[in-house]
Amino acid sequence: MTVPPRSRRSVVLTETINGITPVLLLFSIFLTLRGHNAPGGGFAGGLVMGSAVVLRYLASGPRGVRSLRVDPIVLIGTGLVLALAVGLTSLVVDGSFLESAVWKWHVPVVGDVKVVSSSLFDIGVHVLVVGVVMAIIVAFAEADDEMRGRS
Amino acid sequence: MIVLLFLHLVAATICLAPGTRSARWALPVAAIAPAATFAWLISQSAAVLDGDAATVDIEWIPQISLSITLRLDGFGLLMGLLVSGIGVLVLLYSISYFGRRSDLGRLAGLLVGFAGAMLGIVWADGLLTLFVFWELTSITSFLLIGFDDTNSRARAAATRAFLVTGAGGLAMLAGFIILTITGDTTTISGLVADPPTGTLTNVALLLVLLGAFTKSAQFPFHFWLPGAMAAPTPVSAYLHSATMVKAGLVVVARFAPTFAADGLWREFVVAAGLASLIIGGIRAMRQQDAKLALAHGTVSQLGFLMVLLGLGTPATTYAGVAMLVAHALFKASLFLSIGVVDHEAGTRDMRRLRGLLRALPIVAATMIVAGASMAAIPPTFGFVAKEKALDGLLHAEIGAIGTIALVGIVLGSVLTVAYTIRIVVGVLGDDAPGVDAGEGSDRIEAIDVTSVHRSPLAFVAAPALLALLSIGFGLAAGAVGDWIADATTSLDAETASKHLVLWPGINEALVISAGIIAAGTALWWFSRAATRTVDAAHSPATVVYDRIYDGLLEGARRVTVATQSGSLPLYLAIVVTTVAVALAVALVAGATDSISSPRFSNSPVEFIAVVVTGLLAVATVFARKRFMAVVLLGGSGYALAIVYLIQGAPDLAITQFLVETLTIVVFLLVLARLPVDFDPAPAWAPRIARIVVATAVGVTVAVFALSASGARTEPSVGEDYVALSEPEAGGRNVVNVILVDFRGFDTLGEITVLAVAGAGVVNLVRAARRHQRRKHLGDEIDELDDVDVAADEHDGPGYDAGRQIGVWR
Repeated sequence: MTVPPRSRRSVVLTETINGITPVLLLFSIFLTLRGHNAPGGGFAGGLVMGSAVVLRYLASGPRGVRSLRVDPIVLIGTGLVLALAVGLTSLVVDGSFLESAVWKWHVPVVGDVKVVSSSLFDIGVHVLVVGVVMAIIVAFAEADDEMRGRS
Repeated sequence: MIVLLFLHLVAATICLAPGTRSARWALPVAAIAPAATFAWLISQSAAVLDGDAATVDIEWIPQISLSITLRLDGFGLLMGLLVSGIGVLVLLYSISYFGRRSDLGRLAGLLVGFAGAMLGIVWADGLLTLFVFWELTSITSFLLIGFDDTNSRARAAATRAFLVTGAGGLAMLAGFIILTITGDTTTISGLVADPPTGTLTNVALLLVLLGAFTKSAQFPFHFWLPGAMAAPTPVSAYLHSATMVKAGLVVVARFAPTFAADGLWREFVVAAGLASLIIGGIRAMRQQDAKLALAHGTVSQLGFLMVLLGLGTPATTYAGVAMLVAHALFKASLFLSIGVVDHEAGTRDMRRLRGLLRALPIVAATMIVAGASMAAIPPTFGFVAKEKALDGLLHAEIGAIGTIALVGIVLGSVLTVAYTIRIVVGVLGDDAPGVDAGEGSDRIEAIDVTSVHRSPLAFVAAPALLALLSIGFGLAAGAVGDWIADATTSLDAETASKHLVLWPGINEALVISAGIIAAGTALWWFSRAATRTVDAAHSPATVVYDRIYDGLLEGARRVTVATQSGSLPLYLAIVVTTVAVALAVALVAGATDSISSPRFSNSPVEFIAVVVTGLLAVATVFARKRFMAVVLLGGSGYALAIVYLIQGAPDLAITQFLVETLTIVVFLLVLARLPVDFDPAPAWAPRIARIVVATAVGVTVAVFALSASGARTEPSVGEDYVALSEPEAGGRNVVNVILVDFRGFDTLGEITVLAVAGAGVVNLVRAARRHQRRKHLGDEIDELDDVDVAADEHDGPGYDAGRQIGVWR
């Protein structure tokens, strides 16, 4: 199932994917953020966002992936640095690696908001996982380009 | 102290930060750190010289009794003043030397980082602290030698210097560890206060000496130093003459008064020191590049210092420290002067230089004064120190070895006088030695004197100041000598009564000195026409090193070829067989009786899920088509996710589900590029062998899992985690809290692996693309890089698109 050229692509599939993508993206962020208190977490969230990239590739081929204009290695690096920074910050502040700090505010209308420092760590994991999935997809996109270039 | 070291680190970080590569302010900013250090040391000097050593002790990793232990005693003060003082001068000098180069930030950052590491060495009291800073100087030295990173010779020289000093550093670490055990202390002051004895200690001391020899470029490790001259001249002046190469001497000076009489210490020190002294001296006579001649001269002088400081008698230690100060001053001055000459005249070749006496008068005066100090001509400080050294050796009373050392040093000093005159005359003189205008092919054009610019005052200030100090310290020998005596008591209490004098009256040492100067001048006069040049790259020691290095790489290549076949099935077989064997051994050796009879299922739904998981797994094995196998395997994974869900592990189920989905998609994308059917089993792994391996692994892992779940002896940490999750980490999802908090370090490790894997994919793609482009261009660059394995398959007759990702096969 190499992604077929545009002329032979299923309109239904493409449209479905285009419609579902925003939902997937929102859901992935939701999964990551709720992880601290309910099933989910950065890894799962990252995988869902990664699947959105995969779907985009299936819908629009290499062009679709390239049009994202994101270098996967940048995502991977950002995620790793973010996770490391959270860990080191708590090492400096608290004296132990990745000791969570908890902040609570009362925000009008929304209600009580609780922020845990380890959520940032989870966001780092999320970004990194997206980067890794994307790196794999980009590899396929490159291979497609090459085949077209040859034939 | 620790604040000052941090200051260096901060300055280095600022200079190395992205965006400051071409910043003109980098060098002055970097100079702040050593300048502050210098000022602080001056303010502390009175107290320290009274014997009131400042100490710092910070626990780092208490589990292996690793702490940062610093101690500012008299010797540390003296060395600290040299390191920071010359550091400031070199950084300021570099402003003129480099002008508007684009990578000043990197240079300034590395230099100031080195200065910090070097201060760490001279202040270190803890053995491991010393080692850490020692290695830091090796690393910064490596980066600075290879500063001109587009020059392959500079890179090779940097690698050579790094490997030699790095290997020596490891030997020293081994020595330190033995000393820590035999001496039952982790500090140098502890070892000196209560010295261990015995064969093991003596072995350890020789290992420490080995480290010191490599760092201080002593025979037979001297060959990296001339190569290190590939670094910019300010770097050579600072690291490879004034400071870093003194690190070995610092260690020797601290150990020798206590340990010199033990084992073979003196024999080794004198042998290596004298060999370096003589070989360096002879080599220095055969260079045409003034900077290289100075570098060989440094090897020679370091040998001299090694003998003095290594003998460990109070008189030689005292003379050695004085000589060390003298050497730092005159050698840095000479190097910096050569840098000015190189900058203004465009060459360092002594055959080409002429007319500089008039064109660069200040530099000329500087070189003459510093040269006089190097050749030990009165009234310079070099003369005063060498008098003391000869006097100390004459009265050393350590038997034959003292006499050998004396004779060797006299011979070496004759050479020193000769090559000093040769360098000074060669650079400044009008009829440079060895100009042979007659032979056409070797004809060397002299420089055009009118094109030599007069250098700005700021440029020549640093070398001139150092030369002034060389002569000033000589004239004020009494006061300087008393100061050094106070500083040296921290090495050997008996040096307190020593002193320096400018004019000792006619005595044995003076007569010897006069003889040395006369003989040296004669040697220069009679050899001045010699043109033979010995290239450092072809000296025997370098050749031996290169053979060892090449042999090592070739050996590694052969081992790789022998062990890495590139066949994925083989790798997989090795990995899984190893796992199976390891588990089987554990099972046989241990708790086979703890195998619990598994509860098959808790509910009908779970029963169905488990059966489906198993059936699909079995079906996978019998699938004939790749596509079929992937789908069946995915189905098995989904069914397993349901089992997790029923068991009450929603996080696990979600993750399993997502991973399974992505895996299937990726698998299918790959399959599109592979043949539909599986390849037939290769001859080396017939079907039966595969079945045996697979079954063995499956059975062992299953039995092990059953055994492990029944083998618990300690209470589970799970309950604690559940209890602590909300109060400690503010999360109700205990699985997530474990991942991001309790066991966050593990997660960090895992995502690092993931990041590496991702980066690997990205780079494989980039490498393949690069290769492809090259192919398209019809380039016939036959480069053996990592993509060749994958790319070779393109050329095969059975080329199909799927083969480009060779890894998957």
